[in-house]
This record gives sequence, C-alpha cells and structure tokens, in this order.
Amino acid sequence: MKPGLRSLTVGFLAAFLVATAGTGYATYRLTIGTITDLVDRRIENVSALVAADGARDGAPVLLARIDALAGRRDTGDIGFQLTDAAGRRLGGNVTLTRRFSPGYSDVRRLDRIQGLTAGRAFTRRVGDGLTLTTIAETEPFDGYGGVRLRIYLFGYGLILVVVLGGLIVFGRTIARRFAATRRTVEAIIAGDMQRRVPVTGAQDEFDSQAQAFNRMLDRIAELMAGLRNVSNDVAHDLRTPLARLRSRLTTIAAGAAPETAVAIDQAIGECDSLLAMVAAMLRIAEIETGRRTAGFAATDLTMLIGEIGETLAPVAEESGHRLVVETARPAWIVGDARLIEQALINGVENALRHTPAGSRIVMGTAIVGDRAVVRIADDGPGIPAEQRALALRRFGRLEASRQRPGHGLGLPLIAAIMRLHGGELHLADGEPGLVLGLAFPRDADDQKRTVASRP
Amino acid sequence: MTLQLLLVEDDAAYAAALADELRGIGHTVTVAGDGRAALTAMNEAAFDAVILDRMMPRLDGMSVLQTLRSGGMTLPVIMLTALSASQDKVEGLEAGADDYVVKPVAASELQARLTAILRGRGWTASSADTLQAGDIVVSPTTFRAWRRGRPIDLAKLELKLLIELVRNADAVLTRAMLIERVWGYDFMPDTNLVDVHIRRLRRKLTEGGDDDPIQTLRGIGYMLRG
Repeated sequence: MKPGLRSLTVGFLAAFLVATAGTGYATYRLTIGTITDLVDRRIENVSALVAADGARDGAPVLLARIDALAGRRDTGDIGFQLTDAAGRRLGGNVTLTRRFSPGYSDVRRLDRIQGLTAGRAFTRRVGDGLTLTTIAETEPFDGYGGVRLRIYLFGYGLILVVVLGGLIVFGRTIARRFAATRRTVEAIIAGDMQRRVPVTGAQDEFDSQAQAFNRMLDRIAELMAGLRNVSNDVAHDLRTPLARLRSRLTTIAAGAAPETAVAIDQAIGECDSLLAMVAAMLRIAEIETGRRTAGFAATDLTMLIGEIGETLAPVAEESGHRLVVETARPAWIVGDARLIEQALINGVENALRHTPAGSRIVMGTAIVGDRAVVRIADDGPGIPAEQRALALRRFGRLEASRQRPGHGLGLPLIAAIMRLHGGELHLADGEPGLVLGLAFPRDADDQKRTVASRP
Repeated sequence: MTLQLLLVEDDAAYAAALADELRGIGHTVTVAGDGRAALTAMNEAAFDAVILDRMMPRLDGMSVLQTLRSGGMTLPVIMLTALSASQDKVEGLEAGADDYVVKPVAASELQARLTAILRGRGWTASSADTLQAGDIVVSPTTFRAWRRGRPIDLAKLELKLLIELVRNADAVLTRAMLIERVWGYDFMPDTNLVDVHIRRLRRKLTEGGDDDPIQTLRGIGYMLRG
C-alpha cells in the first residue's frame, strides 16, 4: 500500500525535525570543540611563556613571570597558580579548590573561581616538584550557554515555523484543487455533463491538470452526443415501420374473430408502447435543440396543475389511486405550457405506474424564494437515495420497476423540459414515497407584484 | 367517399407505402416528389385535398402552401412533418394549412382528419347556438348537453369531448385528434386518458337507459353515431 498524503506529511515533518535537531547539536558540538581547542592552545602557550620546557627556573622567577603576564593586556585574563611538591599554593592570581592532574581539564562554576563559569585548565610540572596550572575562560560572558540555546531555538524554530506553515498552505492548496475536481466528478456522475473543473488561470500544474481533465470531459460529451445522435436516428427510422406495422394490425383486427381481435389488440398495445418510447426519445432531442423557447409565455403553474388534475383524476381512479390537487396561490413562470403539461403528466403517470393501488398522489405548487415549484408526491415505495441518479438517466430503469410498463424516459423527459426552462428536477424522499420537485425560475413580473403587495 | 388526393413527399419509399395504404381505403392518389412537381400537378388536374410534406428539396412545403393560398386555391391541405415542434405547427396553420400531423402517419389517421376537414367546411359557424347528432344536443356557448331533451350533467372535459364527437358525428375521431382538440396537447400521454374519459362520458350518456351512441374503432378511435 502506498502511503497517503497525511502519513507522507507526518513522515516528512518527523524527518525534518530529526535533521534540524541533528544539525543544531552538531553545530553546538563543533563550536564548543573549536573554542576548547583554541583555549587549550592558548593556555599551553601562556604556560610555556611562564616556564620553558626543561628549564628549572625556581619558584621566585616563575612567580615574577606570572605577575608580569597577569599585568599584560593580552594575557591579563589568564589565571595562574603555582604549587609545590606537597601541593601547597606558592602563588598566582587564582586560588584553586582542588588539585588538577597534569594535562587538560575542564573548569566549572563548582571550582569557585571568581568570574568564571566555564573554562579550561592546563597543568604541568615545571621542575623541582613545582606544578603550574593556567586557566582561561571558554565563555566570553556569563550565561553564554543559555544565549546559545536561545539562538538555536530562535533560528531553527523560525525555519520550523516557515516549513510547517508552508506545508499547511501547500496541503490546503492541493486539497482545495482536489476538492474542486471531486465536485466536478460528482456532478458528472449525477448527470450534469456540462460541469467542468475550474481553471484559475495561474498556468500551473493544477491548471494543466484541470485543462486535461476538461478536455477529457469534452471528448466524453462529444462521444455521448454522437451516441445520442445515432440513437435518435434509429428512433426516427423506427417510427415508419412501427406505424406501418400498427396500421396493418389495425386492418387485420377489423376483420378478425373476437378472440383473435383481443390478441391483436395486445399486439397493437405493444406497438403503441414502442411508438411512445420513440416519441419520447425524439421529444427529448427536440427539447434539447432549445428551439421551443421561441414559444415561451407567462404561465400559471397552479392553473396548469388544476387542469392536469381534471384530466388525470379519473385515470388515477380507474387504477385504484387517488390524485389530489392542493389549492394554492397562482405561481407564474415564463415557459411553454404544452411542454410543462407534458412534464406534469409524465410526473403523475410515473407515480401511477410505480405505486400500488390505494396510493395517494398529491400535486401542489409553492413559491420558494426565486423559484416556483410544483411538487408531485406519492406515498408509494419511493426511490432509494443512491438510485436517484440512475432514475434520471435515459433508459435508467431501476431493477424493481423493470417488470412494469414504461420506457424509462419519463423522468429524463421531465429533466430535459426543466433544463429548457432554466429550472431543475429534484427527487426527494417523501417518507414514505417519492417527491418530484419541479423548480422553475419565477416570472420576474410576478415576483415584483408579490413584493409590492406585501404590507 | 373516394377522394382525389395529391401526396407531396420527397421520401419515395415512404410516399409509395402511404399512397398504397390510401388507395387501399379507396382513394385515388397522385404522388409528387417535390414542391415544383406538386404545383405542376395541381395546374394539370383538380384534387380534393393535398397531403404536403413540410421539408422537401426544391420548394419546401411552406412555400408550396403560400403559393397555393396566395393564388386563391382553397383546397384542404394537411401538412406532414418529421418533428412535433409546436412552433412549426403554428407556422403551418398560420400559413393556411387545415391540419398538421407528425410523420409517420397511418392512412386511417389521415382519413379521419380529411373527413373532419371536409365536414368542417360544410359548417356554417353562426347557424345555431347548439349542435345536434341524433338525439344528443350540445350547447358549446352555455356548456350544457341534453339527450332526448333530458339534461346530462357533464364535467368540463366530458362536455368538450362530446362537442367534438357531435361536431364530427358519423366520422372517426382518432385518439390523437381528440388529444389535440379536446386537451390541446401536442404529445401523446402514455396513459389511456382518452379511453377513460370516453368511458365516463358513455356512462353518463347511457344512464337514462338509452343505448350507447359511441362506437369504438379498435386501434383507431371513436365515432358518435348521428
């Protein structure tokens, strides 16, 4: 399994922290080491100035040299102590509280040398049992270690903050761009083939990615349009032979014995379903050309559903359903009344087909903001949320309804009519049942009238 | 009723098939392949009606219709079209077509429409306030109906349906014609709503024990006996 973006980020951060801490520690060690070396060399040199190797100058001479050196500007900060073979202090400018073994040693605050917090000592024998210790500070001033720590914390902390901030901004940017792509993909899956990934114009990797993605979608849309053209052509060419078949059957039925006539009637019924499917396909194609907008006029949805109710209530009654039209205020939109009637009839027919006898179908209008909405609600089995996108697809018939009559173009036809009107078709859960919401943009004049009439 | 028909259609195969069907129900059919041929044919012979395809090469159906009407030729014209766009329909009817049907159309459908047009021309609009067919009387202006002088209580749609049937008594009205004329739809609903409303109308017409005046023509439509 490849690591995810999150674990990659955490891993990178951990590696960065280790590297930063490591670099800090190494720098610290190196600085300390260098200073110690320098100081060691200095105190060794100064020690040699007091007593040259192999010379046996005796204590008085050495103490005199120490005094001279302690008074000089370049060696005034060096501490000296001369002791005899028994370890007694003979002189010098510092007093040591412990004995240093020959060679280099660390000097700390514990050694209680005035004005010294950290330093180095060099101890050697200078003949006649005498021992000379030279001491120098490794810190330019008191508490330098703390200052160094603050410098490291501040310097590396700043780098850490910049990197962390960069990571967050970078991560957010990537996440945002991915989210934009994902939203497009989801819209496409839901059936909105017009959606594209937004291009920011930054000409970056994301933009070229988005452009490539959009080109792919364009190509898919082209292929789909091609497929649709083919199916429309097929539908168109099927009409004539189907109509001829139907008229032959009608002629035969006229002269047939009653029992044969019933069978022929069923065959004519099958012909009619096929013709209805073809008609629906061609109707969707016609709507999608957008030509029908030429006939748009102010239309009252509330009046339309009233008329549809008169037409379909007897049909519903015959199949054991109940169609109820709720009375409401007028809901004006601009549209093609014939097409809207077709959409509403399709909606009610859909409910009649997919609900058992005894179900109730309620039709009503409502004004919701800048939308005039027709609701067609039934109390039947409904459509599960995850199958609604499929129900809106051409021939996207749900498994449960395959056995029932219908051509799978009812809802797509409504959706096409809604798109032509700049509105949309919503499928919702009626708990129980299915609610079709046909949301039209309200007629602007109607909106003004309503606003004006408000107290 | 034998009619002299001129069928103007550029799709030769479709024209031949439709002409055969129309001849099968007793009409004499002349086929013209484009608009110019149609105008020539009409100069050479007299026709009772023209069935005119809208989309054709060399003078389309609309131009032929305009030429005919501006030349004072009033013979009935039924326009054929491939698509059901209502804007086309409006344009066709405004240019003077008597009816407008979507291809493919069955001969029986054309026959019913031709009969309706020819009968409609015999009507004088202001002759009476009421229409009568047999023992049924309807008043389109007051929206009332009677059978044998007894008033019948009809819903608005049932009355519109009855008016259409009475107006075309003894002639066939197809479901498509009823959907167009009674409901004003330019599409065929999937449900059998014409049949349902006819059944209701029938029930109310026969309530008083009278016989059923509406005849069903299987697969075609309905006819009111006059």
